[in-house]
Parts: sequence; C-alpha cells; structure tokens
Amino acid sequence: MSLSERLLVARLVRRDEEAFNEVVRQYGDRVFNLVLRMVGSRAEAEDIAQEVFVTVFKSIDSFRSEAKLSTWLLRIASNHAKNRIKYLARRREQGHEPSGSDSGDLADEGKAPAQSHIHGPDVLLEAAETEDIMQQAIATLEEDQRLLVVLRDVEELSYEEIVEITGLPEGTVKSRLHRARMTLKQLLEDKFK
Amino acid sequence: MSAADSHTRTVDAFSAYLEGELPPEEKASLEHHLATCIQCRTSLERFRRTLGGLGRLKRTAAPYSFLADIQQQINRRSRGRFFRRRWLLFGRIPFEWLSLAMIVAMLVYYIVVLQSSPTGVKPIPP
Repeated sequence: MSLSERLLVARLVRRDEEAFNEVVRQYGDRVFNLVLRMVGSRAEAEDIAQEVFVTVFKSIDSFRSEAKLSTWLLRIASNHAKNRIKYLARRREQGHEPSGSDSGDLADEGKAPAQSHIHGPDVLLEAAETEDIMQQAIATLEEDQRLLVVLRDVEELSYEEIVEITGLPEGTVKSRLHRARMTLKQLLEDKFK
Repeated sequence: MSAADSHTRTVDAFSAYLEGELPPEEKASLEHHLATCIQCRTSLERFRRTLGGLGRLKRTAAPYSFLADIQQQINRRSRGRFFRRRWLLFGRIPFEWLSLAMIVAMLVYYIVVLQSSPTGVKPIPP
C-alpha cells in the first residue's frame, strides 16, 4: 500500500468526511461497474454500490493495511453483489418477482440483432459480441463464476488481485474462470443454433 | 493418446494459451494439434471472440448523485452525526447563496461608507 493510501486510510479511520468523499470519487465508478455487471440491473446496482460505501464508512477499522484499499473495496462489493443475487433468486423462487434473467434493464437497452439477417454461426457469434447479449449470458452464470468473469475479463484485474478479492487459491481461480468462459462460449453458441 | 483426449486437453488449455501461460512444450503440442484439427481451431476462435466480447463491454459511470446519495444514507443511519446538512445543499456547498450573501454585504458596506464619508454630498442647511 502506498504512503498516500495509508494517509487516506488513517483519515478514514478518524471518520474524516472529506477523505470518504475522496474514496467515493476515486472508486465509485469501478465499484458501480463491477456490481452492475454482476446483477445486470441499474437500479439494483445503484442500491448495492451505495450500500458498499456505507459499509466502508462503518467498517474501515477492520481494514488490514497489508491489503490494497481497492481490493478490499471490491471484496465488499462482490460480497454485497453475490448476496443480492441470492436474495433476488430466492424472491423469484417464492414468486415475488417475475421470472427471467436478472439482467433487467441493461438487457433492455439494446435489442438483439434479428436472426433472420444473420447467416453462418461465426457471423452470429460476432453479433453475440454486442453488449446486451453478453450481459444476458453473464447473468445466466452462477454468482461465483460471474464474479470471476467480471473481475478478470471485464474489469481486467490481475490474478493476484482476484486472489485477494475472492480468497481463493490462484489455481482454483484459473480453473473456475476457464470453466465459466467455456460455459459462456457454449451459451452463446446455443443461443444462435 | 486418443483423439478425444487430445481435443479435451486442447480445449482445457485455451485460457492458459491465450493468456500466454502455457509452458513452451505444451504450447508447441497444442499448436501442433490446432494445425491439424479444424474442430479445435474453430472452438478456439469462438472462445477468443467470447473473451473479446467481454472485454468490449462498456464501462458505466456511477450516477451523478451517487456521492450525495451515500452521504444522505450515512447521515440518516448515523442519526445526523456524520455528513450534516448545515454546510450542504443538495449534497454540495451552496456557492450561489454564498456569493449572494457576499454581494449584499458589500452593498451594505458601500452604502454605510458613502453615508459617513466627509467627501460625500451633504444637504445645504436652510
């Protein structure tokens, strides 16, 4: 951890409000984007991301200085997102919410290309590279797989950072991530068969 | 090794191959298999495109009111102990109100000084 980060954390521990504002400005977009890709809904993401920073403000005393502040924040964000995904799945099972992918409003932003205009499977796969289809595919993964894909392939974090965030050994991260990527590839292929 | 084993081994190594983490001899063996197996070559190309699609997902910024909303939450949950509103209006310092107050203060000062100035115009006594 850098000296400036240590100083920032020390101010946070004293509940310095300006230091907290600095943290939100610095990491807000990153936390929001991670959570958004995990839950797929803007409204849920806003709510979870706010909750993440409230947790940071409350529990900064439990931050261990050997970790990086960014990875600690992303760990809190991923735990909140995973819990929300489980909660939403439970609610759907109990019939409180309409069934379907929890990609929600993100998927509604763009429409999938009409299949009648597309011919070979390779062209279809190219079309699958559009944002909404990819987001829907991510939403079908289990939350642990989703997290790994978002951290590595969307947020482009290093394996070292992912190990710190997830608490999993590097080998496990790599093998689970590979399985998640293969699942995604299969999902996209099946979608256009 | 059977053909099926060879396919499985190749597919299992896609991530490590694309991330440049395969040892040289395994990389050579995989590339040798790819050169002769169109099925695995196609599969690798689709795998690569899947990763490309993930990498191209756009970054979404937090909403404009994000910081103010969090401050409000903390203020409410701490029962007003943190992020008190007295300095903040809609989550920020009210510069327009401060400017207005400054202009009024300067105007009052100017009028007072003008009234008490010895060079000021005084009415002629009758």
